[in-house]
Amino acid sequence: MQGRASPDVPGIAAATVFAIASQIIGAAFLYLILRVDGGWQVVGLLALLGLGFYLLERLPWIADYALASFARVPLVAMITAAVIVLAFPFFVGSNTYILHLLIVAELYAVLALALNFQLGSANIPNFATGASYGIGAYVSALLAINFGVSFWLTLPVAALAATLFGFIIGIPSMRTRDTYLALVTIAFGVVVQQLLNNFSWTGGPNGLVGIPAPSLFGHSFADPLVIFGWKLPSQANFYYLSAALVVVAIVTAHRLHGSRIGLAWNALRADEIAAKAQGINVAWFKVLAFAVDAFLAAFAGTIYAFYVSYISPDNFTFLVSVTIMTMVIVGGMDNIFGVIVGAFLLTILPEKLRAFADYRLLFFGVVIIGFLMIRPQGLFPQRMRRYGGEP
Amino acid sequence: MSALLKVENLTMRFGGLVALNDVSLSIDKGAVLAVIGPNGAGKSTLFNVVTGVYRPTSGRVTFDGAEITDRPSYEVVDRGIARTFQSSRLFSDLSVLDNVIIGMHTRTRTGVLTALFRPGASRREMAACVEKAETLLKLGSGDLFEQRYRPAGTLAQADRRRLEIARALASQPKLLLLDEPSVGMDDMETDALVADITRLRVQNPALSVILIEHDMRVVEAFPQHVTCIDYGSKIAEGDFAAVRAEPRVQEAYLGKAVAHA
Amino acid sequence: MAELLVQQLVNWITLGCIYALLAIGFSLIFGVLNVIHFSHGDVAMTAPFITLALAQALATALGASGPAWLVLAVPVAVLAVGLIGVLLDKVVIRRFRDAPAMMALVATVALGIVIRELIRHLYPQGSNPHAFPRLVSGMAFEISGVAISWFALLVVVLTVALVAMLFVFLRMTPLGLRIRAASEDRVVARMMGIRDARVFRATFFIASAIGAIAGLLFASYAGVTRFDFGVMAGLLGFSAAVIGGLGSMPGAILGGLIIAGIEVLAQTFVPDGASYRLVFVFLLVIAVLIFRPAGLLGRTVMEKV
Repeated sequence: MQGRASPDVPGIAAATVFAIASQIIGAAFLYLILRVDGGWQVVGLLALLGLGFYLLERLPWIADYALASFARVPLVAMITAAVIVLAFPFFVGSNTYILHLLIVAELYAVLALALNFQLGSANIPNFATGASYGIGAYVSALLAINFGVSFWLTLPVAALAATLFGFIIGIPSMRTRDTYLALVTIAFGVVVQQLLNNFSWTGGPNGLVGIPAPSLFGHSFADPLVIFGWKLPSQANFYYLSAALVVVAIVTAHRLHGSRIGLAWNALRADEIAAKAQGINVAWFKVLAFAVDAFLAAFAGTIYAFYVSYISPDNFTFLVSVTIMTMVIVGGMDNIFGVIVGAFLLTILPEKLRAFADYRLLFFGVVIIGFLMIRPQGLFPQRMRRYGGEP
Repeated sequence: MSALLKVENLTMRFGGLVALNDVSLSIDKGAVLAVIGPNGAGKSTLFNVVTGVYRPTSGRVTFDGAEITDRPSYEVVDRGIARTFQSSRLFSDLSVLDNVIIGMHTRTRTGVLTALFRPGASRREMAACVEKAETLLKLGSGDLFEQRYRPAGTLAQADRRRLEIARALASQPKLLLLDEPSVGMDDMETDALVADITRLRVQNPALSVILIEHDMRVVEAFPQHVTCIDYGSKIAEGDFAAVRAEPRVQEAYLGKAVAHA
Repeated sequence: MAELLVQQLVNWITLGCIYALLAIGFSLIFGVLNVIHFSHGDVAMTAPFITLALAQALATALGASGPAWLVLAVPVAVLAVGLIGVLLDKVVIRRFRDAPAMMALVATVALGIVIRELIRHLYPQGSNPHAFPRLVSGMAFEISGVAISWFALLVVVLTVALVAMLFVFLRMTPLGLRIRAASEDRVVARMMGIRDARVFRATFFIASAIGAIAGLLFASYAGVTRFDFGVMAGLLGFSAAVIGGLGSMPGAILGGLIIAGIEVLAQTFVPDGASYRLVFVFLLVIAVLIFRPAGLLGRTVMEKV
């Protein structure tokens, strides 16, 4: 970085074209990979993706140029993104399977962004994100089924309950680190899952059924969505809802990352003792990372519960936590964009590689080990903060 | 005028090992105190106890009129003590600029709710930090400012030491603890370091500095108050000439240093 | 009542020994590499499958199925698992020796998934539970009306023998002393010219082979084995090692007995305790880690600043 001539700042016109074109290409790629049905087409698209990453790696100015362009015309970039997200279901049409994949990918993106506060920003291992996700889902489902509480009201309640849980698992992090802390989070995860499995009021291993669909201004989310005469399947409701949650997660991540809180997390990732010497209350910031993680995960859990309308302890196991962890590691620790890409890739790819459907977990395992050994920084490594200054 | 920092009868034991044995010392506002002594004498342990990294076995530390024995590090830093580490513990994967901004942690206030719901306030705070950090980086010797977007881990040794000092100053300390700041510096860089410390004191006459040093040329530059520690005990104090003349000091420290030189 | 008590006492000791053997592997590897080998439980639980496959193969090749083949297959499986451990170290784990602890942890968790999935796909009908015979059957003797099985006796005798052998090995043989030196201080050990590679190989072989024995006993105790038993076996063994204090052999044994004790107590005295036993076990793990982060017999290491 140092000593190299700073890349030319793109002009407004060039930046606008780039910001729009690159996002459309990205969306088109996502559309294609969702559309194709296994076989050679998938392999071809994967090869294309590989080529893309190879180019990004060999020609670092591409990434610099992209970031500079987006920074130059942020409004254009954001409007383009919004239009693409809003328009996507119209291209998908009545294919509910694709919409389902997109919803799951969006929820995983939220979970991965949640975990990223710990794993990416602060380097705290947490194998209990799946449990926070489950607590969110169960709290809101129980409220809705037993007390008829509306979905919109269960959202904040579930989030608060999970945040409390986050604080509780965070407390041992004041006393323990690394391996020991990992074990504490695993233990919490197992305890939560076992309790869900054994309590009668959580439905035991059978879980909870018949979670009512939410409704907004009299429109039930179980009904098809009609916009300007276009009829979208009912999944589209949840697609937009989850997309909104992803936006909330991105804004949260972005604001925390850019504030003194994100810096404090990064400091304790790099050197805990030096962080203490700068006056950072290390214990508090660790607990905080747990709480923020649980808060966001609970939102995802609530939407998931109302979307599938049936939840059981099996949806929130240790393996779910590992899956989320894989997404963060593959996408790129402490890189918001990377984490989202990781979540989408790892949700959609295993589904598309139908021939390997049975080998999904094996694939995850090998991918994690491979990345940690060959490219521990992930597909999109973290970037230095720039503060509006020249690079 | 009463002392800014007062250490009374400090003892620190690790199991059977006595790292500090009944050490007392004090430093006035605006003064420089040099702590010398052989490797492993307990000098860094002294810093670790003062800054709350270790809890002392017994003894009292008072700073600026308040007792800070056993207080957590973040409170100690907030009260106005900043330090550097002998082994320069920078946040190596963060930029030089970020390292300094993190140093301002106790002087900034943004919490989660502010960051989330009043992003403007959070952004303004960061912008002010960036400005202050850039000023600090321009201040010292070397060209840290030009390297401000480099990862701290890639800096040359002398720059690492300078960055640690800049990071410590970022917390606007009343007392600066420097743990062997000249390690890894050549003669010219060491002279620049002495000039940096001297200039700091001119700009901020109230700033007190405790200096752990091996390089006698640095100690000589601040000769009024020198304390020598050996095997965890204070064996001499006074001005540089007096401490140097002390036979126990020569035996424990200078003698060996001279013999090696 | 007395009968029940004796019966539960026997269960406790049997289970405690099995957990202790698993915990020893975790402790040994952590001591030498400073890395948590999270997939150790999965490595251990490959042993019953290898044994079954081998016995099956021998039976089809040479005819006449029977316990004889099992007896032959067991030692081969133990050796094979020891070698698997060495291989995993060489290919994966060793690369994370100097990386942040977090990375080794995640990598070995992933490794565990890979091992489980490989069992599931490679073993015929790998997703299903497979019956695993008692290695020895029948009753040895009676205490106050309770018959003590040969199997319980075997577990105890085997555990005592293995621990004694390990103790002698680590204290008396040159290689053992080097392993101990390496676990005391890796840097010093390297400076003293101890060849790391051999120490690692030996550590992984011993830990995995002992784990294999524990795995065989575990499957034999349960009467059944499944591809994913390694998760729980690993978690319980690791918890035992951590409760006792990672790196401490007596701690590993103590931890194993404590974990098994909680399980048996929960099953015996708490209504519906069997389904909640894991809850009790892991609540204890959390409590120990909060109040004694270095474990019961572990040394608290103060980080040098």
